[in-house]
Amino acid sequence: MTMYYTLVASLPALPRSFDAGPSPITASTLHHRLSILTDDDRRIVGQLSHFFRWDRQPIGRTDAEVIAMHRRLNHEIGNPLVRRLIEHRFEMRTLVAAVRCQREGKSLPELPELPVSDLIRRHWNQPGFRMSSRYQWLVRFCHALDENRAQQAQRHLFDELWSLWSRLDQQYHFTFESIILYVARWEILQRWASQNTELGEQRFDALVDRILGEACLEI
Amino acid sequence: MMESPFWDMMGMAGIYAPLALGAIGSIMGCSAGGQAACGAMLDVESGYGRLVGLSALPSSQTIYGIVVMLSLNRTIDIGNAPGLFAIGTMCGVALWFSGWYQGKCCASAIHATKSKPEVFGLAAAPAAIVEGFAVFAFIFALILAGSLPVATGGV
Repeated sequence: MTMYYTLVASLPALPRSFDAGPSPITASTLHHRLSILTDDDRRIVGQLSHFFRWDRQPIGRTDAEVIAMHRRLNHEIGNPLVRRLIEHRFEMRTLVAAVRCQREGKSLPELPELPVSDLIRRHWNQPGFRMSSRYQWLVRFCHALDENRAQQAQRHLFDELWSLWSRLDQQYHFTFESIILYVARWEILQRWASQNTELGEQRFDALVDRILGEACLEI
Repeated sequence: MMESPFWDMMGMAGIYAPLALGAIGSIMGCSAGGQAACGAMLDVESGYGRLVGLSALPSSQTIYGIVVMLSLNRTIDIGNAPGLFAIGTMCGVALWFSGWYQGKCCASAIHATKSKPEVFGLAAAPAAIVEGFAVFAFIFALILAGSLPVATGGV
């Protein structure tokens, strides 16, 4: 097993929560630091980043395209942790899509080959597909949708991902898995920051203040 | 020197094992700590010296190995070769593992200190505890080495 003491120690600590502040490292710096990885490991991180890029594009994708992507990734990805992260993300996407279809009164959508898909089919007519105790975030997500608070619903999704990935990270020390989980959580930070206009305004104000402060000092 | 080449070899292996295995432990430990220190230096603006200092903690296993080797060094015969082998090898293995795992502790301490400099002392405590076990192995190897028979005409 390759140990990445230098790389892991060079990455700044991520905040406790994805909404606790700005990302501690820019995309270009992270990309530069990841160049330490071996070729095989860099390829795996590339697969994960590619999936996240795909996952970011929100709408206009058919169920069949999502299912085809799921099949292709299942076939291509060999790393167990990356596979686990992607399966978990697909599971969440599937549940979210099914909840939306159910609330809009649509028929059962086409679902990818996941254990959760069978449960959705079996309990399609019941609220939360009788999975509220297993997926507690689903209850909070539905409440946010009831209150028409889309950003809050998104926060619950990210919160679930962040908590799970942070818990997983505690199992690994200076290994490649630590890097994978860092990149995955950094992606959540980026996504949340890009969706959060309030945070964007704060960041913009802080940058303007800093630049003006530097200009005053020079004068 | 004794007549059996096998026991001659075992005795010599026992004498040299603490140094060789202790050095392997130091190499592995200092390497882990040193790599973590180099990485942390990319992310901090000051306090480089203490990061490097922490990464050098596993060097002590080699020093303990040298002292045990010198205390075991004597003319080998059939009466002391098994004892030399047993004490030297077991002490060496203990030094090897303590150096290796101390390095991991140092790497974690460096990682923690980087984000929270005020925990430097506490973060180094686990590495110091691992060092304590190496000291036990070292001291008791010296005590037991004193009880080994000296070959006729030996040191």
